[in-house]
Amino acid sequence: MDIDRNIEGKGVPGLSPQATNGKRSPATENGRTRVAKSGTRRRRTTAQSMAAQQRNISVSEFFAKNRHLLGFDNPRKALLTTVKEAVDNSLDACEEAGIVPEIWVRIECAKGNRYSVAIQDNGPGIVKRQVPLIFGKLLYGSKFHRLRMSRGQQGIGISAAGMYGKLTTGKPVKITTKISVRKPAHYYEVEIDTKHNVPEIHNGRGEGVDIPPGEKGRAYMQRHGIEWVSHYAAAEGQTPKELRSGTRVTIELEGKFLRGRGSVDEYLQQTAIANPHVTLHYVDPEGQERTYERSTTELPVEPKEIKPHPYGVELGHLVTMLKDSKAVTLSQFMTSAFSRVSAAVARRICEAANLSTRASTRKIGRDEADALYQAIQQTRISNPATDCISPIGEDLLLKGLHHVVPGEFYAAATRPPAVYRGNPFQIEVALAYGGGNSVEKLTYEVLIELLGHSDARTLRQFLVNTFDGIGSDSADRIIKSSGFGSRQSPARMGPADIKSLLDAMQNVTLSEKQSMQIMRYANRVPLQFQAAGCAITQGVINTNWRSYGLSQSRGGMPAGPVTVMVHMASVWVPFTSESKEAVAAYPEIEKELRLALQAVGRKLGMYLRRRKRVKQEGERRSIFLRYLGEVATAVTEINGGDRQGLYEQLLKVAKRKTAEADTNLDSRGRAIVESDEDYGRNVLVVEQRPEDLLVGLAKTDDEQKQLF
Amino acid sequence: MAKKTARRKVSKTEEKNGKLSAKDRKTLKSIGGLAEGVNKAAFRGRDPHLEIPSRSLSNVRYNKTKRFIEMGRGKNRRELFNLSQAKSYMQTVLVGNGCRQLINAGKTTSIRGLYYLLKHTIEGTREETFDEQKDCDPIIEDVEVMLSALREELHLYAKNAGAMVGPITLVDSGDEIDCSRMGSGGYSIPSIAEPEVVQFKRHTAKFVLHVEKDTVWRRFNEDKFWQEHDCILTHGGGQPPRGVRRLLHRLHHELKLPVYCLLDNDPWGYYIYSVIKQGSINLAYESKRMAIPAARYMGMRSKDYERCGLSSSVTIGLNDNDVKRAKQIAGYPWFANKKAWQKEIDLMLQNGFKLEVEALINKGISYVTQEYVPARLDDRDFLD
Repeated sequence: MDIDRNIEGKGVPGLSPQATNGKRSPATENGRTRVAKSGTRRRRTTAQSMAAQQRNISVSEFFAKNRHLLGFDNPRKALLTTVKEAVDNSLDACEEAGIVPEIWVRIECAKGNRYSVAIQDNGPGIVKRQVPLIFGKLLYGSKFHRLRMSRGQQGIGISAAGMYGKLTTGKPVKITTKISVRKPAHYYEVEIDTKHNVPEIHNGRGEGVDIPPGEKGRAYMQRHGIEWVSHYAAAEGQTPKELRSGTRVTIELEGKFLRGRGSVDEYLQQTAIANPHVTLHYVDPEGQERTYERSTTELPVEPKEIKPHPYGVELGHLVTMLKDSKAVTLSQFMTSAFSRVSAAVARRICEAANLSTRASTRKIGRDEADALYQAIQQTRISNPATDCISPIGEDLLLKGLHHVVPGEFYAAATRPPAVYRGNPFQIEVALAYGGGNSVEKLTYEVLIELLGHSDARTLRQFLVNTFDGIGSDSADRIIKSSGFGSRQSPARMGPADIKSLLDAMQNVTLSEKQSMQIMRYANRVPLQFQAAGCAITQGVINTNWRSYGLSQSRGGMPAGPVTVMVHMASVWVPFTSESKEAVAAYPEIEKELRLALQAVGRKLGMYLRRRKRVKQEGERRSIFLRYLGEVATAVTEINGGDRQGLYEQLLKVAKRKTAEADTNLDSRGRAIVESDEDYGRNVLVVEQRPEDLLVGLAKTDDEQKQLF
Repeated sequence: MAKKTARRKVSKTEEKNGKLSAKDRKTLKSIGGLAEGVNKAAFRGRDPHLEIPSRSLSNVRYNKTKRFIEMGRGKNRRELFNLSQAKSYMQTVLVGNGCRQLINAGKTTSIRGLYYLLKHTIEGTREETFDEQKDCDPIIEDVEVMLSALREELHLYAKNAGAMVGPITLVDSGDEIDCSRMGSGGYSIPSIAEPEVVQFKRHTAKFVLHVEKDTVWRRFNEDKFWQEHDCILTHGGGQPPRGVRRLLHRLHHELKLPVYCLLDNDPWGYYIYSVIKQGSINLAYESKRMAIPAARYMGMRSKDYERCGLSSSVTIGLNDNDVKRAKQIAGYPWFANKKAWQKEIDLMLQNGFKLEVEALINKGISYVTQEYVPARLDDRDFLD
């Protein structure tokens, strides 16, 4: 009856013919009865018929429809997400097993816009019966229920990638896994049954296939077209070592391979920076091979699993915990389920909540739970142990960044662990200054290729989106100096046009207007999207970089050839969405970010000031030198003196003068001697030969200040 | 070693200059002193620098007894080893050397000519010694004040501007010129009007009438005003250049002729009068050879609008800039104590318009020559 009324209630008087005539009949006062009586509105549905349609929605169905939530919103991102989920899982597995990770990534263009993505690791492998569940069931995993720092969290990623592959190409996920040299490997072709969220195994009559170890197995794999990297790459003349264990996942999916920002290339590069213990082999769809060698064989300290801290638990969660707990008394529950709750703390909480420490957990109702929750917030509880986090460490940050990002100055800072909402976290920042940008290494062939792949409508858009370090300012200058119109389409450019574009790109100095590059990481995983909404980006923007010698417009990114990497390590990284692209801004996190950025900023400031001084000295000398010849000529023409003698004499004075001007004086007018060793720890300065510095100078300051 | 050779060569160049005039020798000597200063400083390991008298408003003062603007003692130091001054130091030395070349060759050139003479690309760079003439001109003035040599003494001149007619005969570079027989164009006043170039021979003039512009001057010349009133008629093409001012100065001091000025009634006209009378700020160091403190201002006057019954159509409204400039002029120390001038400027500001001399043509084509100026001369109605 209720439903009936609701539906009829929607019979708005305005829809009835009388009302449209504009006549106000008395019946409209009681429109509901009128409509029912006249029978002009058909009953659409009944409670019974609706009930027939109401049914369980499977998680997999939900995500199949809402794939953007998981990072599969467009073909380009789908490809990236797939690689990313697989690589993250591999790294987690290797580290957990204590194996120094080596990962092979191979992307092949199957046909059209279908790509086959294969990721293999040297991890511990997966036990046979778990394989289908891990790759063919959403929300199945080992990491969700524990509080431990790891890359993956929910157990959605890789199975979602498989599901996406199946949806777009109909092909199952192929998994090869091996847990020991002697034991057989397993080969599965799995797909997810989206209706029921259960795996379906295609090969071996639903059982999968066992591949015997050794030579026999290799022959079998070759026969059946199963790909497997069986040996590590070895130096010339050495016998390659065999992989003891590992897992290889191959997913075929519809995707789009692009380079530049937010690409697989970028992801792998950034991963290599934050994981200096990983060796990455990468073959892109064009067949180009790239290897990021590890710079250390030391694995990160194994993070410990911790119990939740009372501050981080919400009321609903508390109620569930109470229900699930095996503890008999409240005190027992508190001390066993939470970290940092001793019997004394538990007693204080119970007192504040007006509950007995010996109250039975079974008998805690909703009101009591609420009181308990309030009491927890009011009680002082010491911060959780922070040894559950394993930061990259300043040394390795420097190594990793130096390995991949060219530059002349590197600094790193790791903050001590801190806590937000009961979750321990730690912020690390590393910074690289100087070095060439992506444009300098650009060749004609690569540019043609990039232009061909780009879907940008204008040249400006192409430049900004494709290259690191080209902002809209620099793009405009490049376009201006190459003489193209501002709406030039990148698709319609002849070889001559491309050549002149390349010239312009290499001639326009970008270093001044270049804006800072930010690499964001959460638990060693690069974050590539939603930069603007991320607490890390905001932290960088809100830091005053001007006092560290960089230029920065109000509320904007600082400018300069700077790369900053920021890593947030936490047992639970607060992402703003399920696709894990941006870190939420908690005040505690913001504070730590600020302090860490300031720490590296100070070091950069010291370096830049020192560099500026050297540069000024050079400039000053060059300006004097430039005019000395003219002065000497004119003077000797006037008095008929010896030009060379005077010139040399003037030169001598000039050198002494500039040296004098360069010594800094303190407030009392005494010269300050600055030592080069005062950067503090964790700074890496790549020595630049003076010639290089001069070349750089001449380039940045036009011909006006050219040196000779 | 180098020192010795340098000295020997200096003496050689001086010998060669035996045929030069005494004035030229003096100039050369001061240029040589400039070079020697650089030499000395360099060989003593000192920082070479030049002391250039400052040519700014802050470094001029009004001498009440002499009644013209004089340059103060303020000096600017220009150093070779100073980032912001290195280039202008180099340029100063170049200009000195350029002038030396001119004097040695016994030739003169324009300041633009000197700019081209000295302009070249600095060896090993793509930088020019001078980018534009306006980089060069102030340096020339610097050299003038520094050596206390006049532009003429540096063998430089500006382009001719200004003309003269009247019952006077003079000798210009050896040619005798009768200024009463100059046709409609008049005698073009040279930029160098020094006694070496221009000598006065005879005259019957009673006064000098200086008008602002060529157009007004032509009216007077066409009406043969100078014949009727026995006067020398000059114009300076707006702000009179040095040649005109120097000639007026000489006419006034050597021939004892009073100078009357007929200028527009606007701040610009006032300032022209001020420059003729007291000298300019920029060339304050030459005031004693240019300023004519006894010059008198004849018109146009603010009261002429009513006095002559002019139509309101011939007035030009004052703009903000004019008002600002008028107030600035009223505040100059040499105007500040003159009540008549304060009243004059006040009245113009009250009127809210300016009057050009040409406006008088509205009353009749020759009104200015037949009525206006004769009336002023009769009344002796001048502003000091």
